[in-house]
Parts: sequence; structure tokens; C-alpha cells
Amino acid sequence: MFFHIVLERNMQLHPRHFGRDLREKLVAKLMKDVEGTCSGRHGFVVAITGIENVGKGLIRDGTGFVTFPVKYQCVVFRPFKGEILEAVVSMVNKMGFFAEAGPVQIFVSNHLIPDDMEFQSGDMPNYTTSDGSVKIQKDSEVRLKIIGTRVDATEIFCIGTIKDDFLGVISDPGTTS
Amino acid sequence: MSDKGGKGGKSALKSPASKGKDSKGRKVQFDSEDMFDEKFETNGNGNGKSNGKDGTPFAKGKGGKGDKGGSSKKEPPPLLLKVEEELPENAKCLMNCEAAQILQGIQDHMVLLSKDPTIKIPSSFDRALQYANTGNFYTNPHSVRQTLETLKKQDVSDGEICLIANTGIESTKKAFALIPSLKAKKSKVKESLGTALTELNKLKTVTESTIVLD
Repeated sequence: MFFHIVLERNMQLHPRHFGRDLREKLVAKLMKDVEGTCSGRHGFVVAITGIENVGKGLIRDGTGFVTFPVKYQCVVFRPFKGEILEAVVSMVNKMGFFAEAGPVQIFVSNHLIPDDMEFQSGDMPNYTTSDGSVKIQKDSEVRLKIIGTRVDATEIFCIGTIKDDFLGVISDPGTTS
Repeated sequence: MSDKGGKGGKSALKSPASKGKDSKGRKVQFDSEDMFDEKFETNGNGNGKSNGKDGTPFAKGKGGKGDKGGSSKKEPPPLLLKVEEELPENAKCLMNCEAAQILQGIQDHMVLLSKDPTIKIPSSFDRALQYANTGNFYTNPHSVRQTLETLKKQDVSDGEICLIANTGIESTKKAFALIPSLKAKKSKVKESLGTALTELNKLKTVTESTIVLD
């Protein structure tokens, strides 16, 4: 799920950047440092949407660097347990399949795939129902539910399920399990 | 005790070693416990296939038997969405259509403004924008928000509202199935949720017809 949130960060700037466009330099550095990063509490910082406030700079002893406290608004993306996501399948194997929803990777174990779907190996490995009406393969769109999350320093991994009502393949509306 | 004396050396080899394993094991389990926890919850929905697996992280050895019996009896609680509890107060949930609008605006600006070649749009931005566009059923986020805001009077949370919009749910039955936390408010919510979903469907069809017309 996406969020709009205000965050704060202390930015260190080298004295060579001081001048008329100090603020612009500060914002550019903030974008470079923050966008694309991931934290357990907030999730992925997708984009900075605005600067709320740049505080007074504080010279750091001995270095000449100045630290500015910057308050900024940003859009973050974080998955939650219990959330329903529409994801694109990126890899299928006998253990289950991986899917991507935005910057987040989700693994759906074969235990969490409906029992009537069986793994079929081959050039295009897939999970198919016995009558062949529903097929999960690479690039299929699936609706899944997040049941577990694990946060890394730079990534968020999720475990999902499609073993529930109204979950499953959605790329073909007629085949939703 | 086992640290003392050479006598204990041989016999101690076994016991402290196993203790050592335990403490190492704990670390590993701490990470994976969450996952097993979750597996436990979900598998409960289906068959009790993983009884053995699930028994281990909770209680070693003795607990196994009890767990096997327990898991078949116990109905696992539905996985509820607790967005508000996990996020800071100043965070505001965005629907995919709102996020898509904001991110699209930023991308358009970036093309014009990014003279600095060192600033590159991170890949997560593109992925997020693509995801927001895929899960976007409406072109007018404002009217979607207005329609769903009415549900707030019935204690529907921001997270639930966003989930309703993001999944493009058409019926109340589907809504209660996909968002179990709504079930608790079923009697209160059902009527207004039905009205809101009908309104949302209208917004959706308007969008589709405009695309066709274009």
C-alpha cells in the first residue's frame, strides 16, 4: 500500500556547495540519498514530493561540513500482513512461485496454492488445474494476500497465499479461482 | 556448572554442545518464526498438511503432540489488516489511483527538470509507478476518495478504504471475504458499503466508456 508521510533526515553538505543554490543542492542530495531506499518501519521511499522545512545548519567540528535537518514529504510503499495485492508472476518452480508488486517481491509456496493446481514442468513451468482452465505461469497476474513479511536493510520480502476465496489468477477474468 | 572441571569435558561435550545448538537455533528461529507463524495461520485455512512443521517453532519436542491435536481443533484467527497500528501518525494511506497520479506527475517533472545526470530515477520508482497504474481502476481519485470517505462514519479505517479501492471490489460479499476486518462491522457497514461499491462501479464504467470513446 502507498502512503504519504513526512520524514526527517540530517543532511551533511560540503562547504563547496554553499551559495545561492544551497537549497537546491540539498534537495538534490536528499533525493539521491533517500529515493529507492527501504526501511522496515516505512517501507520503500518511492519519491520525495516536497520539502516541508530546512532547519538551521550546524557546522561539524574539524570538517567544515554542515548538517541541515530537513523535513520532507514522500510517497512510500509498504506491504502489510492481510493486505490484498495484485502481483505479476516472475518465476515459477516446484516450490511455488515468485511475484512482484511494485518494488516488493512475494513468494507463494506450493502449500499456499489451491490443492487442485498442480505443478507442470517444461519450457514454461506453471501451475494448472486438472481441467486446464486456470494456469499460473510467468507474467500471469494474480491477486494474493500477504501473510508474512521480512524486512532486510534494503529489501522487503513477503510471503503470500492464493488459497482463499477470490484470490488467484486475474489476468483472465473468467478464470479467477 | 558444565563449564567447570576437566571431568565434565567428555560428558559436557554433549550437553553444552546441544545447548549451544539451542542458542544458535534461537537466532535462526527468531527470523523465521514470523514466517512459520504466518504459515501456521494460512495452512489452518486449508488442510492441516504442515502440522509437524508448525509444531516445531512454537515448542520443541513435547509441544509436538499437543500441537498436532491443537491445530486441528483450533480455528486460526483470520489475518486482519492493521495498517494504522504499524504506521506513524503522520502517515496517510494512498489509494493506487492517488499514488499513480502523484507519481506520474513526478515522472513528467523529472523529464523536464533533471538536468543533473547524477540524479537518476531509481528502479523502485518505475516499478511502483507501474504497479500503481496496473492496480488503478479509476481516473478520478478525488471522486473515489469522496465516495469511500462516507464509510468512515461506520468506523471503516483508512487502510480498509484503500484496500477496497485498490482491489476494485464490486460486491459486498467479495469485500467481506477479502477484508476480514470488515466482518466485525458487517451489520453496521453492509448497507453503506453496498451503496459505496455501486457508486464506485459507476466511476469504473464511466472510465472504461471514456477509454472506448477516446
